[in-house]
Amino acid sequence: MQSLQETALGGGPAIAKTANYVLVAADAGTTVAMNAAGSTTITVNTGLFAAGDTVFIQNLGAGDCTVTAGTATVATAGSLILPQNDAGILYFTSASAAIFYDYIQAGATSPLTTKGDLYTYSTSDARLPVGSNDQILVADSSTSTGLKWAAAASGGMTLLSTTTLSGANTTISGINQTYKNLYIVGKDIYASSTGQFQLEVNGDTGTDYALTNLNGDGTTAATSANEDVAGYFVFGYHGTTNTYSKTANFDMTIPRYSETEYHPFNIDFVGFPTSLTKWIYYTGRFRYNDTAAITSLKFLTSAGTFTAGTIYIYGVK
Amino acid sequence: MTKPMVRIHDLATDEIIDREMTEAEFTQHKKRQEIAAKQEAEAEAKAQAKAAAQAKLAALGLTVSDLEALGL
Repeated sequence: MQSLQETALGGGPAIAKTANYVLVAADAGTTVAMNAAGSTTITVNTGLFAAGDTVFIQNLGAGDCTVTAGTATVATAGSLILPQNDAGILYFTSASAAIFYDYIQAGATSPLTTKGDLYTYSTSDARLPVGSNDQILVADSSTSTGLKWAAAASGGMTLLSTTTLSGANTTISGINQTYKNLYIVGKDIYASSTGQFQLEVNGDTGTDYALTNLNGDGTTAATSANEDVAGYFVFGYHGTTNTYSKTANFDMTIPRYSETEYHPFNIDFVGFPTSLTKWIYYTGRFRYNDTAAITSLKFLTSAGTFTAGTIYIYGVK
Repeated sequence: MTKPMVRIHDLATDEIIDREMTEAEFTQHKKRQEIAAKQEAEAEAKAQAKAAAQAKLAALGLTVSDLEALGL
């Protein structure tokens, strides 16, 4: 069979419609083409076709073309919406019912176009563009896909840094200023000599450090308070060994650290000074009497150099 | 004379630098060590004085609770 004969069997070359169209009996066995920039419909009515009739429908235009049940019913396992360059066959099972075989079935093509796009569904497959940095995906029944990107709820905690202590002191600078609070954990700290574990803020060696604490060794409790101390906070004493995990550990919070006001610090510290051979626990509150935002922290030992220890800084929204 | 090492971790660049203390840092480091040693010595002296006082009480057949009972 010649190709011209095959085309003739299909009703000859299709003349594209450019607006909504209602199928007529003469369309049986032919090709109905749609070519419109905007959305269009092709309506199927009853009483025009017989069981076994077919109509080939193609969409050449940029606008979606929807095969629409008029007075006849139209079933499909795919989609009745034809995007540009999609097509399908309308097959009549009776004068009042048809099945539409969509050439591009769900999942056969991807709507994704851009890095980070998500493949979702509304009434058909749909693209959800990637959100902004740090946004999270949440369900929202009011959107077409039931999903949206939104800012993370406050209260989340993000690990900003992990630093291994080394030398006589270790400075952690360039602290991210976009969080509300800092939560800092110091783990398994010990040094070449027993000494004070100290903290200097923002490179400030002036008399801007005040502290009060309660401390105890399991037998005796004591308290101390100091105003206008020069150079640093003292947490307590670290030891020289990790034997039996006798290392110093602490956790500390610095509320509203990026604001320009005096800064309270809350600390819990426990150390095992080797010379005393017992645990000493400290809980206290520091106050840094300077209004600069906190951008760097220097952890120091008063004796020797750090052998080990890790500082974890978390930003809290 | 070799000075102690220090570490600087810049979170803005995630760069870690290990270097010797500068002269100014070393001067301050020694000053801090002296202050800490003095504080430790004071704490030690205080602890020893307390232990000595408790030993004297014990030699007299008294305890801290006895002193508290006297309102001392």
